[in-house]
Amino acid sequence: MAFKTVKKITNPKKKKGDQTLGKLYPTNGKTKVFVRREWRGVKDTLYDYSRWLYIMSILARFISKPRNIKAMFRYRWMANYLAVPYMMDKFTLGLRDEPLRITHTAMNFVIYDVAKTMDNIFKGDRRTGNNKKFSDTCVLTDENAMTAFMMGFKDTTAILREVPTMFVANLLTQNSTTHYLDVAQEFGLPGDVCPMPEAEAGISIDDDFAVLGCCAVQVNTTCDGSLMGNGIIAHRLEREYGIPTFQLTAPLRHKEEDVQEYAANDMKEAVKFIEEHAHEKWNWTRYFESAARVNDATRHRAMWLDNNATYYPQFVGSVFSLYNDTNYMGNCGRSALFPPKDKKISKLVEQGYKKKTMICPEYRHRCIVWGVQPQYNIHMLYWMMHCWGVVPLTDMLSMVNTDMIADTDTPENREQAWYDMAWLNENMIMRNRTHGGYKVLVDDLWEFCEIMNADMVMMWEHMSCKALDGLHGMFEEQGRERGIHVVWVCHDLCDPRVYTRQAIRDEFSQYMRTVMREEPLDPTIEHIPDENMW
Amino acid sequence: MKDLKHLLYFEDLLQTADNELIERAKKDGKICAAFTCENIPEPLLNLGDAFSVRLFAPNTGSLDIATYYMTSFLCETSRALLERAIEGGFNFADCLVAADGCTMMNRAAENMELLHTMDEGKDKFFYQFMEIPMKSTENGVALLKLQCQNHILKPLHENYGIDISEEAMLKAVEEHNEVCRLIRELGDFRKEEDPRITGYEYHVITLATYLAPKALLLDKLRETVEEVRHREPDGKKWRARVVVVGSEIDDIGMIKLIEETGTYVCADRFCFGSLPGRVPIEIDPDSEDDVLTQICRHYTMIGQCPRTMNMEKVYGRKKYVADLAKEYNADGIIYEQVKFCDPWAYERMLGSHMLREDYGYPVLSVDRPYNISSGAGQMRTRVQAFIESIEIKKLQKQGGEM
Repeated sequence: MAFKTVKKITNPKKKKGDQTLGKLYPTNGKTKVFVRREWRGVKDTLYDYSRWLYIMSILARFISKPRNIKAMFRYRWMANYLAVPYMMDKFTLGLRDEPLRITHTAMNFVIYDVAKTMDNIFKGDRRTGNNKKFSDTCVLTDENAMTAFMMGFKDTTAILREVPTMFVANLLTQNSTTHYLDVAQEFGLPGDVCPMPEAEAGISIDDDFAVLGCCAVQVNTTCDGSLMGNGIIAHRLEREYGIPTFQLTAPLRHKEEDVQEYAANDMKEAVKFIEEHAHEKWNWTRYFESAARVNDATRHRAMWLDNNATYYPQFVGSVFSLYNDTNYMGNCGRSALFPPKDKKISKLVEQGYKKKTMICPEYRHRCIVWGVQPQYNIHMLYWMMHCWGVVPLTDMLSMVNTDMIADTDTPENREQAWYDMAWLNENMIMRNRTHGGYKVLVDDLWEFCEIMNADMVMMWEHMSCKALDGLHGMFEEQGRERGIHVVWVCHDLCDPRVYTRQAIRDEFSQYMRTVMREEPLDPTIEHIPDENMW
Repeated sequence: MKDLKHLLYFEDLLQTADNELIERAKKDGKICAAFTCENIPEPLLNLGDAFSVRLFAPNTGSLDIATYYMTSFLCETSRALLERAIEGGFNFADCLVAADGCTMMNRAAENMELLHTMDEGKDKFFYQFMEIPMKSTENGVALLKLQCQNHILKPLHENYGIDISEEAMLKAVEEHNEVCRLIRELGDFRKEEDPRITGYEYHVITLATYLAPKALLLDKLRETVEEVRHREPDGKKWRARVVVVGSEIDDIGMIKLIEETGTYVCADRFCFGSLPGRVPIEIDPDSEDDVLTQICRHYTMIGQCPRTMNMEKVYGRKKYVADLAKEYNADGIIYEQVKFCDPWAYERMLGSHMLREDYGYPVLSVDRPYNISSGAGQMRTRVQAFIESIEIKKLQKQGGEM
């Protein structure tokens, strides 16, 4: 069967400023950051610099508190946060105009949100801020937790403790988890499980999580590893720190009608558990306000994806996914600060589309990114565009719930709300694809290829992700049948020792050269000496 | 000890997935309901003319094709089953009821469906995937009941006209319980100081009860129990007694290997073992709950699956192992895991620490291949070293010289 092709789009406008990006990387193999800031023309460079200053101001505000300085010396993972500005540079590399502004709007808010979370963590942390009164109003949740069960609590704070400790830390510096992986393996965990829950288990074993909260709600999130990692973490929380835990179950076959009641009932139990420990009653007004914001976010996300289905996508790349992680899952409608950001992004998307703004000189291929991304090389999606002209239209983690939930307070909707919360919980990021049967993972992918007019799938093969690996052959065979290029790119999620960033890029480049017979748009970044960079 | 009269027969049954009893039942017009997970209520697959067979892949060699479909990172059990299915080794099945329990087994079953490994030319064949509760609660019981109705009873009845009445369920439970009682009686002999049945023999017989139609196995089971009741132990001095805990042990060579080192396997707490897999189901005729609910409650509450995530169960599983060790007079515990099995990877990590620190048992924590012959030497060395360490500890406790 012939392979599908898409129209090649060439950017009529010459990019302002630096034309190639390889010159920004250090050649000595030792420097951890870019050798200089990117020149993007006067207007965009000034904009970018002002946003850089904004990030520095967030960091300055954060570090001005003594408890946060104390945390810097207590927690090993805190050192990674020195790399925040550099992380932002990785995500904005090569961007101009609307895409630059969209990326900053979204990611700067993520940075603000994470800084706020960390500030809260150390405020309540028994070892640093030790504000017991505040700590007693906090509920610990997992990294991959859909915080729907907190939507009706006003004065109780959800603390996604693993997000800054592990998830974000690995975005910042590639080696942030290696110590904790070693700790977990020394404790007896095999090295072949998914390194993310393994690293989280390692942090717990190493006693390097902040300790706070009146209780914790754990979820069976993305995989067996994630589910099983809860046990060791809860063991420490309960037995050593006296923090009671609740395990909230999200059914695996989440598309099936006959699991929804079970999920809704467990959601009720989770809320009851929080009410008992946080001493706050569930507030329906608060819940429906949050539900309205969830719907609002869903509408905006759908609009961005609609735009990405056109020839002039505006909001693409890792930041799309990371912003969605934060808004859809971590926030889940609870904060009123997100909707203005969504609105602003939508406005920029619309504006960029009208102006036919392009991110790189040529769009050669339209690509769906599927599978689980390497946390330490998540910015590679921008590299795909700049180096090869392959546009990542969307990624698996961003293809989440598109249904509206009940957002007006009526007696019927109060009952429906339990099902909606359960539905959101079942459809949290990643697990809505890795669980639920092959249809949501394989069949849906081909459907998205159709809808978004993609000719290529960049398949992150996270080697320890058993749910993805388990359908490897099916992806291969069905991709061939449909004439879609499936480019396999192997990695080990958050352990760069197993698969380096360059090894990951090489796999992609090899496909582009040997199968697609193409040459890079920007050859200066085909090989990047970022082995030792943050 | 004198060899068990039917041991060879039971061993032969385990040499191929399509054993002679399955063939005999199929010739009699029975419907073969294949299943993949211990959490699926087995009696419901034995209603009326249906009989259950757990999928397994004895004498597994190459896993090349399954590795193409599922990569080398999936547990060997799941790959061995898929490979066998692709080879046509499970063509005897008339349906497959799989559990979306552990991810890898679920994916194996999904590949079986997508590749039409068992359903070619069978109009009535069905694949069903069940949601298994992840907490032992009444909510979980309700879920399992609904799942059984929708994914076992309804399709069996609609596709094959299987009788799914309460009477049929009671009959199936009765047959199931008889098997359980016989197995447990055999198992109780393992508590003896000089046991009259080896762990290997017991494992072979227990495994056979999952892999062959129960009705056709009962005579030989009864005869074997009677034989063991009067069997004279040979007074063999075992170096130590251990409980084996972990992933399914489909390769009978594994227990044999452990016992060849002089270590008696006194209790089996692994998937498709007898503890708790062969605990009889109690049905209370006066209960307000129907029979199906009572069956589902048994499976939800008594199960020891590592994926059950409520902390009562997480702690309870370790206590269960410690209680077994005490009841069966074990000197140590072997936590084993099929390589790449995530649930047991985590369970054995926490379990080995808790059993050691909270309960004071020596623990060996190992992973192993599905077919032990490919790693027999390493495993033997690990077990031998473990047993030596137990012996040394025993000597130290007694104040003896080393």
